[in-house]
Amino acid sequence: MSATNTIKVGMSTCGLGAGAQEIYDYLKTEVEQKKLPITVKKVGCLGMCFAEPLVEVDVTGTPHVLYGKVDLTIAKKILNTHIRDKRLIHDHIYYSDMEAEE
Amino acid sequence: MKTTTILIQNTDTKHPDDSATQDFYQQFIDLLTQSSLDFPIEVIRSKDIGLYDHGNVIRILPENIVYTNLKVDDIKRIISATLKQGRILTDLHYKAQIKQHRIVLRNCGKINPEDINDYLENKGYNGLIKALKGKPEDIIEELKISKLRGRGGGGFPTWQKWSFAKSQQADQKYVICNADEGDPGAYMDRSLLEGDPHSVIEGMIIAGYAIGASQGYLYVRAEYPLAIKRLQNAIQQATQQGFLGENIQGTTFCFNLEVRLGAGAFVCGEETALIASLEGKRGTPRPRPPYPSVSGLWGKPTVINNVETLANIPYIISKGGKNYAKYGTSDTTGTKVFAVTGKIANSGLVEVPMGTTLRQIVYDICGGVEHGIPIKAVQTGGPSGGVIPEDYLDTPVEFGSLQNLGSIMGSGGLIVIDQNDCVVDLAKFYLQFCVDESCGKCAPCRLGGYQMLQILEKITKAQGTTEDLEKLASISKAMSRASLCGLGQSAPNPVVSTLKYFKQEYLEHINNHSCPAGICKELLTYTIIQNACRKCGLCQKNCPADAIIGDREKGYHIVQEKCIKCGQCMEACKFDSIRRD
Repeated sequence: MSATNTIKVGMSTCGLGAGAQEIYDYLKTEVEQKKLPITVKKVGCLGMCFAEPLVEVDVTGTPHVLYGKVDLTIAKKILNTHIRDKRLIHDHIYYSDMEAEE
Repeated sequence: MKTTTILIQNTDTKHPDDSATQDFYQQFIDLLTQSSLDFPIEVIRSKDIGLYDHGNVIRILPENIVYTNLKVDDIKRIISATLKQGRILTDLHYKAQIKQHRIVLRNCGKINPEDINDYLENKGYNGLIKALKGKPEDIIEELKISKLRGRGGGGFPTWQKWSFAKSQQADQKYVICNADEGDPGAYMDRSLLEGDPHSVIEGMIIAGYAIGASQGYLYVRAEYPLAIKRLQNAIQQATQQGFLGENIQGTTFCFNLEVRLGAGAFVCGEETALIASLEGKRGTPRPRPPYPSVSGLWGKPTVINNVETLANIPYIISKGGKNYAKYGTSDTTGTKVFAVTGKIANSGLVEVPMGTTLRQIVYDICGGVEHGIPIKAVQTGGPSGGVIPEDYLDTPVEFGSLQNLGSIMGSGGLIVIDQNDCVVDLAKFYLQFCVDESCGKCAPCRLGGYQMLQILEKITKAQGTTEDLEKLASISKAMSRASLCGLGQSAPNPVVSTLKYFKQEYLEHINNHSCPAGICKELLTYTIIQNACRKCGLCQKNCPADAIIGDREKGYHIVQEKCIKCGQCMEACKFDSIRRD
């Protein structure tokens, strides 16, 4: 499956309560300023409320992963380490083992 | 060249710090650098690898090969067999079982809930388009095949409700979505409305077409502002795209939707009270029959369904009832969304096929009890439900099996209780909730609830007698038989089920005036263990009631008459020198 080049930020009450708005605004502004070919998208709750704010990264050249408990430092790393350098970030990946119907 | 990524983690939940993961990661890296591999490998420490208590775990991506309970000696074998030759080591291999299956939450976390185009790209409104091509009877037939039962807690077959309403002759019919989610700890409906409002709207339009209604209402509690905002936005977009309003998708079918706000009364989740509230009257229930499908809103035939039930409808119509009935058990088909909260390591929403056991939900999906404390019970169904003790955690989740245990599935709240929770206190909490929320219309609920609460208060204040337990049982019986609506009928459930499984704990309170879990304040005594005390004075400093006398030379004592049993001295003491009995 080819990557969709999107970053999804969980923006339901659970995410917003944990600070997702700040993360979303930061990622959105940075992606636009750097003119990256990536869409930053707000989505609902994935269910892993304990790990909010959740940021799902699906970009070409790296595995599709979900980062949890994302703060601005991690958000910065998502852009610089994951997206630019194509390296994943330690200690923040939450693997979600669920099958969703198409 | 393709990069292999390895996620690595120690999954021991008893020691959740990262040092064990760090150690194993270092050993893995060391051995990896010694072996010469001709392709790039990235090893990443993960925070949650999706498994719990499986020792050291690695997940090799993109193949998604999972090895569990790894020792350092296994690393070399993995490098030579799997990484170099692509061979799977069967003795270490963990055959992944899909734990969660998402039908209701299929779009949550995936699509932008504020953009209808995203919903449409994910096959949104396909169910409605398919439904509009067929006859209303076909929809009801499909629901009958799916065996879908109402997810609000009642478990009534949805097709029957729709079929009753369809068969009524009336100039106007209504569809209502019950989004007055009020159980403490439950937030499935909120997340669904916030994450995928269109699936609920689509379900309502299909219901309207099936029964011949042209107007629908979403009754949402006012405490859910984001859900309301996203719903209103979704209704507007759906109207613009021709899924709501006049002549939907070029047919003669018309359907309009409005959001109405509930003002925070728990009883308004009961369907007849909800209807009264929608009509602008005081939200109190009325006796049934007639059921709303015969005489509901403004006396017209009305289908009233829960949020989760409605979100299932588009899936059932587009994929077929048969495909839906493949999931779940013979008693209850499909999946159920649970909001798992309380003393749980990973709280959140899970959607599992019916028939999954409570133990799987608590331990395999949610990572077990917080801090590794032994579990006591799980509470399902909120104030209308009961507790299920640890011995019965292997019970499959379905309407019938939970009812047999004296609890109910309810709308999906699942609260984990550990050994530090007192069941008498828990029963008192839920009863207090129902006493507060009782509308006062019928005497059994209004008076019975209050009487029971008085007795429970007595028990938690060391004034209880064994006769009180008999009184509790008889009032419970009267309430559940004689109350007008579900609130009063089910309000005694938490008391009845805790009495059934934890009678000993009640007797401890009554006979020995002690609370084994250390929760009921009036039964506790704090004392300083003199030979363990280091006379540091921290307890005295932290006591808000000035109940600790003494000084650093003579030592300290708690004056029982002054003690307010807050436990702050015990928390402050660094030498475990304060005892609670």
